[in-house]
Amino acid sequence: MYLLDRVSKVFDGRTIAVNELDLKVRRGEKLAMIGQSGAGKTTLFRMLNLTIPPTSGTLLFDRLDIGRLAGRRLREVRRRIGTVYQQHNLVPRLQVVHNVLSGKLGAWPLWRAVRSLIRPAEAELAYEALSQVGIPEKLYDRTETLSGGQQQRVAIARTLVQNPEVILADEPVSSVDPALAAGIVKLLIELSETYRKTLIMNLHSVDLALAHFPRVIGLRDGKISFDLPAAEVTDDHLATLYAGSEAETAEEVPSRAEPHPVRSCQPHLTS
Amino acid sequence: MANTATQAARLAPPKGRDFPSASTLMIMAGFLTLMIWSYVGTEFSLRGLLGGESAAQIWTYAKNLFPPDLSKDFLLKTGYWALETFAISFLGTILAVVIALSLVFFSSRNLMFAGLLFEMERSRPWVRALRTGLYLGAKSTLNILRTVPHIVWALILVFAVGLGPFPGMLALGIHTGGVLGRLFGEVVENVETQPIEALQATGATRLQILFYGILPQVLPDFVAYTLYRWEVNIREAVILGYVGAGGLGQQIQIAISLFLEHRLLTLILAIYIIVTLVDHLSASLRNRLV
Repeated sequence: MYLLDRVSKVFDGRTIAVNELDLKVRRGEKLAMIGQSGAGKTTLFRMLNLTIPPTSGTLLFDRLDIGRLAGRRLREVRRRIGTVYQQHNLVPRLQVVHNVLSGKLGAWPLWRAVRSLIRPAEAELAYEALSQVGIPEKLYDRTETLSGGQQQRVAIARTLVQNPEVILADEPVSSVDPALAAGIVKLLIELSETYRKTLIMNLHSVDLALAHFPRVIGLRDGKISFDLPAAEVTDDHLATLYAGSEAETAEEVPSRAEPHPVRSCQPHLTS
Repeated sequence: MANTATQAARLAPPKGRDFPSASTLMIMAGFLTLMIWSYVGTEFSLRGLLGGESAAQIWTYAKNLFPPDLSKDFLLKTGYWALETFAISFLGTILAVVIALSLVFFSSRNLMFAGLLFEMERSRPWVRALRTGLYLGAKSTLNILRTVPHIVWALILVFAVGLGPFPGMLALGIHTGGVLGRLFGEVVENVETQPIEALQATGATRLQILFYGILPQVLPDFVAYTLYRWEVNIREAVILGYVGAGGLGQQIQIAISLFLEHRLLTLILAIYIIVTLVDHLSASLRNRLV
């Protein structure tokens, strides 16, 4: 699905966010990315969903070189990639139904999109998507009145409506109550299994990544630190990945054996 | 590399804030100089205002104003003129919104050529030049509309279309269009980018993003600014009457030049009533809509 060859992203000519990264993701794969804040995960995601172009290197999506795309063809490829963000990615003043249906924008012509703002064009579709994420009753609520977890579900419903081939989830649970985090991660995994989507997720929580994903990639300083099946990730790998973080986060250096009770609110996940 | 640089910056001790810095002192000194200069320049004089003869003159004039002319005939006319002033401000504001809306999106950098929506744009110089040209055209049009005062517009338009409320309404609309265009533009350039990034990532076109991501964010501010300008415009509509653009202002000018002081007071009261009315109307609309 994705093939990255020495992809780099440099901001303002000096801040190297992603550094000559090679990566191959097959269709239907489920993988998690972990690493400290500032390791380049979000930048990588913004390149994967065609929001920003790489500074150098080639990024192929389904054998298409995204550096050569523009205009309509660029939008067609974007349509095949769905993104769930960390937070604040919905339009707060719109009703939930419009936020969900905005997943259809890539497929709708302009007049249809505008008319739908007056009278929702495919309200049943939105209702169905919301049912799948468990909040169908919120269809006509104003989005800003929903809680963080509910908003994240709306964002997932939008992705369902978009019906992409790949789902990218950029720390989808870091702004959500920890108790609900596992639920949302599971939901995304189930949905992508049901509909045979490729799923790539950035996660802050190592536990969630190791518990739910067959393949886990550790990212450090814009480079891949390890790329292994979850079962083969050891404490040493994690220590290297999180080494050198400041005192405050040092306590958070995760280990497989003893999850920190405060940080991890899903004890059942660490078998 | 860049990381250590930012860390070093964070560790540097904060600058002392015990004394006002040199630049603060400079600004204060400059402000003081400006105030003294303006004081001299406007020939400000309390004695001139309140002392001796002028105080007596003010008193005499104020006494002459009473009682207001409350004859039924004149009240009806005043009501008509007040309505005319109201109509000038109302239609003028609507015209202003039309002008502002038709130009504001072209005059917004983030919609025309810069930032998030253009990250993946392949560099085609002539397309970029065209967009920049449109942007500069819209921006400078709004600037011209705004920087020429409404009273100058009114003078020009009275020449062009004749006396009466019509040129007044046009003048208000044109000037306020420029003002609203600038205010709206700032709102559009400061929208939250995260929802827009998300919409773009679904494959939406820029126009779709405008309708789904930008308009819902900016419309409440647009409404608030428009109502506020309407409150300003009802007062400006009065002033416009002075150059022959109809409404209460024109009658005030007539009343002053013909020494009809009783009528003048009636007209001033009418202004008070209509301005207060519009302020309340606008405030209640704002509360309901925003």
